[in-house]
Amino acid sequence: MADNKGDLIRRLENEARQIRRNIWRALRAGGSGHAGGSNSAADILAALYFHRMRIRPSEPDWPERDRFVLSKGHANAALGAVLAQAGFIDETILDKFYAFESPFGMHPDIKMNGVEMCTGALGHGLSIAMGMALGARIQKKDFHTFVMVGDGELHEGSNWEAAMAASHYRLANLTVIVDFNKIAQSGPLSELINVEPLAEKWRAFGFEVKEIDGHDMGEIVEMLDALPLNAVRPTAIIAHTIKGKGVSFAENTYVWHSNNVTDEIYAKALAELSP
Amino acid sequence: MSVNANDWRAKAANQTRLAFGQALLELGAREPRTVVLSADTQDLLGIRPYIERFPEHFIELGIAEQNAIGVASGLATTGLRPYVCAYAPFITARSMEQVRNDVAYAKQRVVIGAAASGISLGVAGGTHHALEDIALMRSLPNMTVIVPADADEAYRATLATQHIDGPVYMRLGGRVEEPPHTGADTPFQLGRALQLRTGNDIAIVACGAMVDLAVKASDQLKTEGIHARVLNMHTIKPFDRDAVLKAATETGGIVTAEEHHLVGGLGGAVADLLSIELPTRMRMIGMPDAFACVGHTVRVREKYGMSVEAIVSACRGLLENK
Repeated sequence: MADNKGDLIRRLENEARQIRRNIWRALRAGGSGHAGGSNSAADILAALYFHRMRIRPSEPDWPERDRFVLSKGHANAALGAVLAQAGFIDETILDKFYAFESPFGMHPDIKMNGVEMCTGALGHGLSIAMGMALGARIQKKDFHTFVMVGDGELHEGSNWEAAMAASHYRLANLTVIVDFNKIAQSGPLSELINVEPLAEKWRAFGFEVKEIDGHDMGEIVEMLDALPLNAVRPTAIIAHTIKGKGVSFAENTYVWHSNNVTDEIYAKALAELSP
Repeated sequence: MSVNANDWRAKAANQTRLAFGQALLELGAREPRTVVLSADTQDLLGIRPYIERFPEHFIELGIAEQNAIGVASGLATTGLRPYVCAYAPFITARSMEQVRNDVAYAKQRVVIGAAASGISLGVAGGTHHALEDIALMRSLPNMTVIVPADADEAYRATLATQHIDGPVYMRLGGRVEEPPHTGADTPFQLGRALQLRTGNDIAIVACGAMVDLAVKASDQLKTEGIHARVLNMHTIKPFDRDAVLKAATETGGIVTAEEHHLVGGLGGAVADLLSIELPTRMRMIGMPDAFACVGHTVRVREKYGMSVEAIVSACRGLLENK
């Protein structure tokens, strides 16, 4: 990559802004959607797909590709946006969000190019990603598997079954990214079921842990470039994020976990996401 | 490198769960993409010989069934062929969502070897009985459901999974002997019922451990001059409609027998079909709407009407009202 660091960061920030514009485009097409958790993930997705991951959008099933599993599948609008921008699918898919018989529904569907697994029922993705990482090891392939989990999703006990096993098998080729936006569907996690101390939990389960600002592109890139953080441990990145990031009225509120998106709201959102 | 036939039979000791483990050894030699997963079930399914021979293609996942299914799905996406060894009651009811989403919905080639099904763990009590697993698994699109009747059939059915392009639920027994009714020369044809006794007076459609009882019931009825056809319905899904319709047409009465709740299992599948296509008088042998008591498997079966006598009596009852 010929970019110098500053150019790289600017390029990725532009991609992230475009992801957010495309998220809102999809939500308008669907009439509603998960603005909160989609926008909190946008910067990380931009850095993964446009910098870190080894992928071939024209050959989505390329066996050597790095894998990304969106375990918090309700952020599928963000995944669709980044897959369209990367060229896995035509961007017109964004206008078919929730459409009858569309492969682009509320949650990821393996039938859509670039989607690795049907997710969204929470607490599944880490196990699946762990299977992919084990598959790489058994077949002596060097691809890396990333899985993004929600913070509220960590209430699901199956995550901790997977965490225990992933560190047992020393899966350094596995990175879990926690989109730690601190708000779930009904309100702040601190008032529902507290997930803190989160870093200590992952450490206790045998992960190498790093906390970053999930909206600081420089920090995200630095973290991704440093992977694996430990030669014999899986990595857990705790990305502190803002639910609904990028559009003032949607930020930091459970109301925008999922909400209706009218043409008027779409216009207001886009106005805040101009370059 | 194939496994010596006599050797595996001796080790399987007339138990489907052990035949499954022996077949994995053969599959490991035939198919390099085979990978075996255990949920702390290494002896339950007799896979220690496999582990010894293919240590790099074995993954122990501990007592964590939800994770085991998710991991199997992830492995399958990379081109491997995972076989999950587990307890039937836990791998179905507990991991149902993972089986539904990660395996059936995503259509991954994952084979679940579910041992200790039915009331084979009789003394363990209701928490450890699996009497709803057939209903759960056959309700899933894409899922193949196989219930072998004996060790030979389990062995051959397990080898046959190599050619099934989708997920498979293989229902296996526990530490209870399953007397042989098939042999090395009996072909396993997926989705095709195996006729074990001829007869046009009545038909007994059975699966799993109840096949042995059905055969004995038919033999007993024969001494009374009643010729009861016996169909070993080893594949519950895809369902052999033709065999059931033919039996209904030719005999006019069907008795089903399964070690499973009467809701949604083999009897339910037969009734679903016949009630629409060819209404036929039926009796259903299986677990009534109750949790089974503690006890040795055979005695518990008898208490709830899963016995040779109960099958014979159901056949007589149907014939008397013919």
